[in-house]
Amino acid sequence: MDIQLIEKTNISMQLVIRGVDVPFMNALRRIMMAEVPSMAVDDVVFIENSSVLHDEVLAHRLGLVPLVTDLDSYNLPEKCTCKSEFGCNLCRVTLTLEAEASESITTIYTGDLKSEDPHITPVSDKIPLVKLAPGQKIKLEAYARLGTEMVHAKWQPVSVCAYKYLPQINIDEKLCNACEECVKICSKKVLVRDENKIVPKNTIECTLCQDCVKVCSSPPAINVAWSDDSYVFNIETDEVLPPERIVLEALNILNRKIDDLLGQLTTKNELLH
Amino acid sequence: MIIPVRCFSCGKLVGDKWEDFVKKVKAGEDPKVVLDSLGMIRYCCRRMLLSHVDIIDEILKFYEETQKKEF
Repeated sequence: MDIQLIEKTNISMQLVIRGVDVPFMNALRRIMMAEVPSMAVDDVVFIENSSVLHDEVLAHRLGLVPLVTDLDSYNLPEKCTCKSEFGCNLCRVTLTLEAEASESITTIYTGDLKSEDPHITPVSDKIPLVKLAPGQKIKLEAYARLGTEMVHAKWQPVSVCAYKYLPQINIDEKLCNACEECVKICSKKVLVRDENKIVPKNTIECTLCQDCVKVCSSPPAINVAWSDDSYVFNIETDEVLPPERIVLEALNILNRKIDDLLGQLTTKNELLH
Repeated sequence: MIIPVRCFSCGKLVGDKWEDFVKKVKAGEDPKVVLDSLGMIRYCCRRMLLSHVDIIDEILKFYEETQKKEF
């Protein structure tokens, strides 16, 4: 297996992984989406709400707000040592919101939420939660906890998490007359003209649509194929965790599952013989 | 009613880009350019901002008027 980092920003990452197969890539993708925990508001207690949004609508909006997650300091409530329905300091964070519009229409943002842990805050302070008319008031307490996407999509740490085959483009120089028809039709601008021949520039962008093959004279000089054991992996996070941390967490979870299976198989085997 | 927090399809955060988007588009900028500058790449996220109507502003007018009458 060989991993090549193509591009990385604070929210996204593109990898080329060689020497693996589809089941492995799919396991990694599904665990990253559904089983890597992240922090989100789960329970909301309303003390006062005279805004135009109903309690459940506002609670839903609060739930969807991505919170910066600290996986090292917090436990999943079902795995926490407190075993409490209400949670403890290791599995729950309280966020409070108290706002009132006095003279004009006021927008309440996520920045107005006060968190008891300064590390667990909304990723952006500029998300509008509700707008209040003069005289309207909201007062609430929101409880955030770790969770996984298997329970609710608000706990999904990634927005894009997808892989595709690594494209392979071959141009037969003997058959190509450099008419540039393929350059014009390519929506991803993969092909470029280099003097009197056509060359693939950023092959990774190719969507394997085969438009360039169809537009080429017959027999086509261009051949778009894909590699069976190499994949391009795209990840875009909700800024709750760094992209590399999500990949590592997913691999740890996969590892734990396999260790668990192996452990059970060994003990069962001893019982059988 | 009010701008959704996340994109319905992919889950990307869109709520915090709304006010910026409206301000720039009202100032006469091309929505396409504004969306690109805000990092809205996919068409699922782009439609969230492009097709949104902030009805809450219309509803709040009624509450504002009642408030004025009470005093």
